[in-house]
Amino acid sequence: MKPVRAATPYLFLLPALIVFGFAVLVPLLFTIGFSFTEWDGFGEMKWAGVDNYVRALGDRTLRDSFIHVLVYIGATIVLEVLVGLLLAGLLSARKRGSLWFRVAIFTPVMLPLVVVAVLWSFVYNPDFGLINAALAAAGLEDFQRIWLGDSSTALLAISVVSGWVWAGFYMAIFYAAFSQISPEVVEAARLDGAGEWAIFRHVKVPIIRGAVVVALLLCVTGGFAGFDLFYVLTNGAPFGATEVPTTYLVKVVFRNGDVGYGSAMAVVLTAVVVGVGLVFIRIQRRRAQAAAA
Amino acid sequence: MKFARSSTALGIIGALVLTACGGGTQSTTRPSQAGTQSSAPSTLPSATSAPATAQPPGGDGVLRVAMSSPGEAQIRVWDDVAVQFEAAHPGVNVEINYQEDDLYSTIGLPNLLSGRNAPDIYFEWTGARLANRYAEGYAADISAAVQSGPLTGLFEDATFGPATVDGKIVMVPYSADVTNVLWYNTQLFADNNVQPPTTWEELLAVCDTLSDAGIIPISSGNKDLWAAGNWLAHLVSRIVGEQSYDAVLSGTGKFSTPEWEQALGYIVDLKEHNCVNESVNAVDDTAGAQLFFQGEAAMHAIGSWLVSWAIDEAPDLEFDFVNLPAMPDGSAGNQDSTIGVATGFVVNGKSANIELATEFLALLNNDENIQQLIVAEVTPLAKSASEGVEIDSRSARLGEMLADAPAIVLPPDTGYDLEMADAFYTALAAVLGGQRTPAEALAEVDQKLGR
Repeated sequence: MKPVRAATPYLFLLPALIVFGFAVLVPLLFTIGFSFTEWDGFGEMKWAGVDNYVRALGDRTLRDSFIHVLVYIGATIVLEVLVGLLLAGLLSARKRGSLWFRVAIFTPVMLPLVVVAVLWSFVYNPDFGLINAALAAAGLEDFQRIWLGDSSTALLAISVVSGWVWAGFYMAIFYAAFSQISPEVVEAARLDGAGEWAIFRHVKVPIIRGAVVVALLLCVTGGFAGFDLFYVLTNGAPFGATEVPTTYLVKVVFRNGDVGYGSAMAVVLTAVVVGVGLVFIRIQRRRAQAAAA
Repeated sequence: MKFARSSTALGIIGALVLTACGGGTQSTTRPSQAGTQSSAPSTLPSATSAPATAQPPGGDGVLRVAMSSPGEAQIRVWDDVAVQFEAAHPGVNVEINYQEDDLYSTIGLPNLLSGRNAPDIYFEWTGARLANRYAEGYAADISAAVQSGPLTGLFEDATFGPATVDGKIVMVPYSADVTNVLWYNTQLFADNNVQPPTTWEELLAVCDTLSDAGIIPISSGNKDLWAAGNWLAHLVSRIVGEQSYDAVLSGTGKFSTPEWEQALGYIVDLKEHNCVNESVNAVDDTAGAQLFFQGEAAMHAIGSWLVSWAIDEAPDLEFDFVNLPAMPDGSAGNQDSTIGVATGFVVNGKSANIELATEFLALLNNDENIQQLIVAEVTPLAKSASEGVEIDSRSARLGEMLADAPAIVLPPDTGYDLEMADAFYTALAAVLGGQRTPAEALAEVDQKLGR
């Protein structure tokens, strides 16, 4: 007869629950609590009801910041995930000498984002920067731009930096996934007359669909959390054209000292990110069920 | 170009009193030294003029001071004052926390004040910020220490005007800054045969001449909005008048009025005459200044801190300044107004070491230390600042300009609510960048502020 130890499983769970509680749950509950107050972070806290949420609904800057981050996410899906996928496909097809290529492409991932941002601020500098200098040297002065000071190019310029960093990360994920594909499958396609592009598109990518979905999920949710590049490169400039929820939230809380409203914004942002994640997972599950059927 | 320092502190403060409150300094250009430093080795002769009469410090025996980083030269003086104080008060340790300027003025100070080891003394700007600190209990009433305590006789009575809230003195004055003038490269002006502009029309003509010569007329780095924002806010005040400026920025009335639209129309003039570098809204204040230091730009719109900065970064640069040129006839503001602020040190109202803190501030403001601060390019407000050390003539004239100003305008980001300042600065940047018309920009400010 086995001894009854009903509490044992829960005891094993306890450390993880404690860490989760203190690192995630408690701060989240506090943030939700603060969002119903008017508070500057250290003075007297006043009950504000749902005023902060009503204010968020009518806040044009907040609305625009969500539009900007969606555009940024759209751009980074191409510049990070798609480029990473293509690079990984290239490497998996031509393995000779790929190590150095992989190292070179992956190196930006290892740099702190603040360092990357400072580096690229020099590249984009309209007066002393590399890009405008190169364009001038090539006689292409007409293409010179105030890259980070023009509202039509600033967001794209930040997206390019993001792509430069993270394409290597997604390349590593996809390259690992491609490496798991059975060589016989690829060989069979080749014997059937498929070229490298056809093998990549119709054989390899469908097989690693799971990795692609994970990469997209990381890219989308990570996009909402993007902060460092925006903060260092433009801090919302020009004229709010690169303001994203995180930079706006930091301004509201830490510059304007409006912790109550900032907390409401944080709750809204969290809800959006969690919602997007859930929708993503649901769509993926339905597709998997449809494929199985 | 040095001459004996004239007595300007009283005049400066007298002028600042007229404005009812003060503001802050934008010293993001100075070298940063974040972190806590305690009792660094002394490099200056020690003075022990502080009376050792205060009680031992409460809590852990540490007297904590917090400030935004004032640059290497001033840090040396502060560290030496700490050594002097420790020598005069056995058992007391002085810890000075120098934070990066932007960090300090936003999240840094509130975090320190609400922390377990809150500073006993902290740097603050006069105006709305100081009033808020007092209302929240973080500014001690030091009236008694000024009237019959360690701070007696160190300042003229009028100096405490901006440092007074609800009739109580809550700050020990430190310095006053002109936050914006037009600095110009005298060599470039001579080479292009132009004179420092004193009127708006002259400024636009200078812009045309310099622009045609392939020189950026005025450089500014406005990525963080305050650099050109400060300058253009002064311009706006010249058009709408100081009263309207103060009223609207204080929350009374709307921005979208014909007068304010007219004021922002002059910013369109700047754009049309190519007065400002195209990169103005893409680069920060440091990059804006570099254009001036390297001779790419003939003028630079920034505050009094440029003097020591330029001497460090571009020692061969010959430069001088003019106040914002007079705007055309019919403008409602005083055309000789100056934009400026006063700063000081506050004793934390929740400190257990209030008495000791006032003694520390008295030591800081004794004759010897004030002279050392002047050497470190401060413009102190203490009485003894009018004697002794010679300072750069441009700094001296800036002090005189502030002292003699018939009207002083407060920068939006230190004299008024920050959210309002951000909205206003964004509007100014949008017009300067040609992204919005004055009417559109002002309507957006009103919309954002719910007016």
